[in-house]
Amino acid sequence: MVALARKTLVYEWRRFLPAILAVGFAGLLQLLQIALVLGIFGSTSLYITGSSADVWVGFPGTQSVSLGRAINADLQSRVLMDPAVERVEPYLWVDGDWRGAHETGGVSVFVSGIDTRADGLMYSRVLSPALRARLAEPDAIVVDRSAMDQLGVDIGQTATINGRQVRVVGISTGLRALGGVNVLCSLDTARHLDSDPSDDGPTYLVAKLRDPAQAEAVAARLRGDTAFGPYTAWSARDFANISVRYWLFDTGAGAGVLFLAGIVFLVGAAITSQTLIAAVNGSVREYATLNALGVGVGALRKVVLEQAFWVGALGLLGASVLGIALMLLARSQDVPVVLNVTAALACIILVMGLAAVSGLAAMRSLRRADPATLLR
Amino acid sequence: MQAATVIESARPPSLRAEHVSKAFVSGEQRTQVLDGLTLDIEAGELTLISGPSGCGKSTLLAVLSGLQKVDGGRVCALGSELGQLDLRALERFRLQHTGFVFQGFNLFPALSAFEQVELPLNHMGLSREEARCRAQQSLEEVGLAHRMRLRPSELSGGEKQRVAIARALAKRPELLFADEPTSALDAANGQVIIDILHRIARNHGTTVLCVSHDPRLVIHADRVLAMEDGRILSDRRSQAPATDSHGNPS
Repeated sequence: MVALARKTLVYEWRRFLPAILAVGFAGLLQLLQIALVLGIFGSTSLYITGSSADVWVGFPGTQSVSLGRAINADLQSRVLMDPAVERVEPYLWVDGDWRGAHETGGVSVFVSGIDTRADGLMYSRVLSPALRARLAEPDAIVVDRSAMDQLGVDIGQTATINGRQVRVVGISTGLRALGGVNVLCSLDTARHLDSDPSDDGPTYLVAKLRDPAQAEAVAARLRGDTAFGPYTAWSARDFANISVRYWLFDTGAGAGVLFLAGIVFLVGAAITSQTLIAAVNGSVREYATLNALGVGVGALRKVVLEQAFWVGALGLLGASVLGIALMLLARSQDVPVVLNVTAALACIILVMGLAAVSGLAAMRSLRRADPATLLR
Repeated sequence: MQAATVIESARPPSLRAEHVSKAFVSGEQRTQVLDGLTLDIEAGELTLISGPSGCGKSTLLAVLSGLQKVDGGRVCALGSELGQLDLRALERFRLQHTGFVFQGFNLFPALSAFEQVELPLNHMGLSREEARCRAQQSLEEVGLAHRMRLRPSELSGGEKQRVAIARALAKRPELLFADEPTSALDAANGQVIIDILHRIARNHGTTVLCVSHDPRLVIHADRVLAMEDGRILSDRRSQAPATDSHGNPS
């Protein structure tokens, strides 16, 4: 079979270049927007994804990690009683008002009081063991590199949170928060910083299971009990999703992503279909000749659709290469970008859908390939 | 009933037009292009339809080849009444039985001469080897064996038209239609094309119907139909007809 579609694409690449660029940039734009949104809003679930706990126990109805309430401390033994649970540790969340060494005005900080033992679950994926160990010192805190200017402190300096003194003992990366600054300290330090007298228990209890795959079942099992006051349990994955979704829709960013997807689709399809239509029109006499020789309209349509497919595939390739390069650049600059399989698939579907719609539009101009017009 | 009469005749012509009329309407203007035209065309001959521009010869070619429907009358090609075939069936008929050569060469810029010829064969259900073998043969037949890896931009006008003829010929059609095949070519190249068309009719027994106002073609045709205002004015055969006409008059 003579590969008419591919050979024409290669030979007349200048003609198809605008379509490939349009598809590529449409894909790139959408890819980066999704990566940015996921990166920014993914930081709202950092507390979960950066830790190795499989099940989270917290106040019922909690919509995001940052919006928890104190639960009964005695729950710890209740959770430990479940045979699937290997270990449990408390996690204390305290909202704080920061005053640094330099004048910075008010800065709100999210204080995370964590277990500082070497095998602690919280932040086990983002906090180095050395830094974790240093948190055991009284009033010691660790902050993110990207927040240094915002906090107006440097390592070794002191500041106050809720009027109590703290000391910066280390700087970490990957702790960026949304709407505030994450501050890590020991459970004792966090209790010390908590100015609300009604908080008598931890904000969350996080548990590690013998078999992480059981997380859903264990969370469901723990949920049934009311003996220790109001509480509920989630698998880590569910709770992370709840947190991200809360921010995505609370801020309207989700609608923004969908809106841009629509615009990208329309603009991309407009340019791509025009280019493909021009390509069909440029070869309309040749197509008409093939039709005169008995090659069916269906076969000619397939040629046009195949061209659209290659335009989409090449655009996607360009978008991927550029997208990965730009995301690496963003990472190196501490810009939060995250891409997961679902988002990447959504981008691929958007781009190939755009190419397919353009191909269908271009197919219509094949109607002009009437062999009778070749006879005048 | 009508079909029966066609079958009854001892050796039906490969193309037959009966009382064919065709008109074009543009705005309120109605132009009668073909007016009750009746015509038989035999296999194994190069038949030339000549006449001034606008006389309806290209329309006659379009109607006889099934590219356009008639307003009245009927057209039979190889025993099939073209008016009764739907679009798909017409495409299939053309795929199996007809070849076309147009005034413009209409070659894909991206394909080599060999691929231009092979492409329609791919759609005929031939095996890859068979298609390649036929493409090779018909390019050899038009004298382009040494140029078949070249693209249209590397070929002269005459060579392009020979590729177009090879493309039609490789299908081994019973009917070959040519519309002004020489008018874009110089004398020498035009002569080559005429000779090839004539040879195809003689050697393959193909019905070659050629429309042209090129006077050089007239002396090479086995039969010349002069057309004017949608009617056949004269029907002349050259001194030695290629086939016996069974007393087919007119």
